[in-house]
Amino acid sequence: MTALPQVLPDVLTGRVAWIFGDDHDIDLMIGVENIKYTDPDHLHSVCMKAYEEDFTDKVREGDWLVGGRNFGYGHPHYVAMTAMRNEGIVGVIAESFAPGFWRGEVSNGMPLLTVPGVSSAVERWDELEVNWREATVKVASKGLELQGQPLNERGQEMIAAGGRYALLLAEHGTKVN
Amino acid sequence: MGQTITQKILSRAGSVDAAQVGENYPVRPDYMVAYDFPGYTDRFFRQMKEDFGVTKVAEPDRYVLFIDHLLSNKNEHEAEVHKVTRDWAHKNGVHFHEGEGIGHQVAAELGYALPGSFLIHFDGHISSLGAFGSLGMGVRRDLLEGWVTGGINLDIPDTTRFHLTGSLAPGLESRDLIHKIISDIGADGVAFQVMEYTGPGAQAMPLGQRQALCGMAMFAGGVSAIFNPDELSLEYSRKVAKKDFEPLYSDPDAEYAARYDINLNDLSPQIVLPGSARAANTHDVREVSGQKIQRAFIGSCASGRIEDIRAAAQILEGERVASGVELNVVPTSKRIYDQAESEGLLDTLRTAGAHVVESSCDFCFGYAKPLAPGEVCVSTGVLNIAGRMGSADADIFMGSATTVAASALTGSLTDPREVVN
Repeated sequence: MTALPQVLPDVLTGRVAWIFGDDHDIDLMIGVENIKYTDPDHLHSVCMKAYEEDFTDKVREGDWLVGGRNFGYGHPHYVAMTAMRNEGIVGVIAESFAPGFWRGEVSNGMPLLTVPGVSSAVERWDELEVNWREATVKVASKGLELQGQPLNERGQEMIAAGGRYALLLAEHGTKVN
Repeated sequence: MGQTITQKILSRAGSVDAAQVGENYPVRPDYMVAYDFPGYTDRFFRQMKEDFGVTKVAEPDRYVLFIDHLLSNKNEHEAEVHKVTRDWAHKNGVHFHEGEGIGHQVAAELGYALPGSFLIHFDGHISSLGAFGSLGMGVRRDLLEGWVTGGINLDIPDTTRFHLTGSLAPGLESRDLIHKIISDIGADGVAFQVMEYTGPGAQAMPLGQRQALCGMAMFAGGVSAIFNPDELSLEYSRKVAKKDFEPLYSDPDAEYAARYDINLNDLSPQIVLPGSARAANTHDVREVSGQKIQRAFIGSCASGRIEDIRAAAQILEGERVASGVELNVVPTSKRIYDQAESEGLLDTLRTAGAHVVESSCDFCFGYAKPLAPGEVCVSTGVLNIAGRMGSADADIFMGSATTVAASALTGSLTDPREVVN
């Protein structure tokens, strides 16, 4: 039996835990040598070590990642974002996403918001108020409100359900949860 | 307004009159393809049974399974994954192929990639089937939706047209073209779009070169790539088809997101520096010539076809691979292997010192003969991120089979035009 992901409310608050550049290859967040691992303790021990030694001490439940253009470029193996979810990261806001990454992580129930200008408008540890359905990002401390491109209806259904698997289970599953 | 071939294929697969870019609806693929890999198919089998009550698929003819990874399985777990796949395939009566080569190639040889057809896979390199006028899309683990329901919800993609004129000069391959395109338009130059290749330069391109070009679409941001059918692809398709097919073609007045004109005569051999295929990493081979290598690899779902092997054999005929260099040649499928053998190409390569190896995916992802720390490899594989082919402290350069062969000959990265006749 596969556990259902947690269902997200529409409005989420959290901080900017990290800002990545353009064409970000997610494998680098855990190191390529770790992309076949699934053990949460191991992933915790390697997460973001190449970027910041104590990142995992600083990040909190509900934080966001911010990216530049084409976030998730390359072969977007699932493990890096699994590690990030384990650390409490709730979603990614980027200038744009690579299609393979986008498909895979929206399916995993992670809100990915395409918001032009976000990577230069926010700073690390800014407090965000994010409406993932409307793709709006507010930074109260800066008096800033950014408008992105909302997911289409099916994409919103998927995130609301907790991911493609949960939606598929709700629509076609035989298990009662 | 006319429609692109992609819109027409997805209209037919979705049973709608005219698919509009940006719409999302369920489509019914002609084939739903996968290779067995731990964490994918074995998980699908379990989930289908336990969570969706699918103990036997309703339409087995639409399922295709390959065993092309981990062929020389190294432990009981991997052997078990293969066994589970064989058992599931047998029980369900689906199309099943083991040890015949890389699935993306074998799918073409066995007539699954017919003009006008639509195929999905979890692996995005299925886009290579666009060479035949079929549309192949990688949907990652959403393939399960297709396997459970028979259809999959898709966003209808926009298309960018690449109009090719001229022809590939000796020493040049379509790998040079795709890397040059990425260099020019960026790694997200066609994000969420299909790359459509048209023009006399496209029609003059051999099928294997078309497959390589289409198979690398994801590194330009593409969700797929496609050629309109022509006499070359139709003739091939008629030979391998096991059922009737109806080709589709873009209308002359189809609407494109963008159009690029490319003269193939202007191309020069390209090399991708270690890291990724992104634009800043892509250069003329001449800019890095002289970089010493210890390993060289010709193979993968993108390269390793008969044209690649002929080109490599032409360079290495009567010569020897440089001392200190290991060249591994992996024909993309058993059929290509046999053809290359019958043409004497493999003997030429063996005599030159190359290791010719059974067709599989295993070199491309570092499963077979992984790179040691500090080694430098030049590869026709599909990915050159650190750790892809072994140690994360090894460097992987990517280029065409011709460039790899020329570099294996000299022992350092070499513009193949310096050694090709």
